[in-house]
Amino acid sequence: MDTLVRATALSRHFGRHPALADVELTLDTGQVLGLLGPNGAGKSTCLRLLAGVLAPSSGRVQILGIDLARQPRLAKRQLGYLPERPPLHPELRVNEYLRFCARLRGIPRERLASSVDAAKHRCGLDRVGHQRIDTLSKGYQQRLGIAQAIIHRPRVLILDEPTEGLDPYQIRALRALIRDLAHDCGIILSSHILPEVQAVCDRVMILHRGRVRYDGYPAADHSPHLWRIRLGAPEQGERLRAADCLDQVSALTEDRYRVVLKDGASAADLARELVTVGVDLHELQPERSDLERVFFDLTGAEESA
Amino acid sequence: MIRTLFTRELLGGMVTPLPWVLLGGAQIVLAWIFLQVIESFAGLDTASRQHPLTLELTLNLFGFTAVILLFAAPLIGARMLSAELRDGRFTLLASAPIGSGEIVLGKYLGLWGLLTPLCLLPALNLLLLAGATPLDAGQIAAATLGLWCSAGLFAAVSIYASTLSAQPTSATLSAFAVLLLLSIVGRAEQLIDGSLSLLGWLTWNEHLLWFLFGAVRFSDLAYFALFSAVFLALAQRRLDNRRLA
Repeated sequence: MDTLVRATALSRHFGRHPALADVELTLDTGQVLGLLGPNGAGKSTCLRLLAGVLAPSSGRVQILGIDLARQPRLAKRQLGYLPERPPLHPELRVNEYLRFCARLRGIPRERLASSVDAAKHRCGLDRVGHQRIDTLSKGYQQRLGIAQAIIHRPRVLILDEPTEGLDPYQIRALRALIRDLAHDCGIILSSHILPEVQAVCDRVMILHRGRVRYDGYPAADHSPHLWRIRLGAPEQGERLRAADCLDQVSALTEDRYRVVLKDGASAADLARELVTVGVDLHELQPERSDLERVFFDLTGAEESA
Repeated sequence: MIRTLFTRELLGGMVTPLPWVLLGGAQIVLAWIFLQVIESFAGLDTASRQHPLTLELTLNLFGFTAVILLFAAPLIGARMLSAELRDGRFTLLASAPIGSGEIVLGKYLGLWGLLTPLCLLPALNLLLLAGATPLDAGQIAAATLGLWCSAGLFAAVSIYASTLSAQPTSATLSAFAVLLLLSIVGRAEQLIDGSLSLLGWLTWNEHLLWFLFGAVRFSDLAYFALFSAVFLALAQRRLDNRRLA
């Protein structure tokens, strides 16, 4: 599998404030990488560095083996970038704007019309080609932002909060578009919406306070057998072993446990049995998905600490 | 790529009302000055006329147009980069495979192009006298060239000021300040020492004056070319530094 993007020890400071520190990142063809993190985690800074819009304080970025700092033109030819705020010219019509973007990306004159048509078609903009951009809805403006990023068929697509401002139908259509685009390129997208990343990304990187806290492939679905419980008193934990419906029990804190139910057992069975064995059940909740758990363990727990 | 940006800026500028308002306003004032000059010239007998009509017209019409250009260039120039930086539209250029030098040159030529109709306005007014009285066509051409060179310098200063701030108002005021300094710096020569010719040389209006007299001198052309290039180089450097800031 081709490595499209390789970032090595990427750091960025704004004055004395470190926005990003020692980020290592790779992206392969066909992969959709989700950058996840709370606001201010450094997601947009990371994407701006990868797009060549910002220069790193230290570290390097290679796009298809081309150094972004040394050969920016060559590297940027392979990149498509949608910033947080789509860079639109409101006084232009959709067709005029896309033609301008195509020229900026160096598309030859003879391929200009077909490239514009293809980008419009992929983003569902066929019917608004002659409309002025400032009269488009937020959703259509976002689609146009994506269209300008894919007009030159880049090998690497960088999308900063692409679903921002879209309605549920548009979000679903965008997910399909991203999966479709991922067939012939690699995609990096940022979001702070967990289900969004879970639905569309193969791989997830969690950023927190400018550092990578997690980089992996969390399973999209979580087991229905996983539950978390809180007991009335710490000493009651031992009594959990007596419950027949439980396969595994692991202590999280003195009074909190993660439990795995046996096949065929339900939460109702667990509640009944715990009462039978004399446990005061204060809380019973399904275990969050892997990604959600990882995210809150890495960021939420630290925030509340 | 420079041509793409030039065309975009030119067409983008033409769909905004500002250049048209400036052009219309300038025409109204120029028409009034034109009438004043003609009336006062026609009222004098031949012996009392100190200068030929062409010189009277170039000094008044072209001189005033230069002042209008001095205000117009920063106003139009602020939307070229400063407004783009504010709205986030500059990201489109920053992520595209083009250099900062091309961006600066494309925008500069676009602004110069938008100012060109203003430069041609006094000469177009003088066409009214064609056939009625003999005018020195060479002198008018030289004055138009001088005005166009001045517009080039003003455009370069405005583009540089536009890179300084993401607030168009600040960019406009910065450009005004630099252009005002370049307009009055020659006065210091009179205040300090008559032999201090460098300050006089730095003033753009001293160079324009020779064009208005009908003299196209290499030193004046070099002044406009050199100063325009300096401000464009500063603008490019500023854009490069924005990536690092």
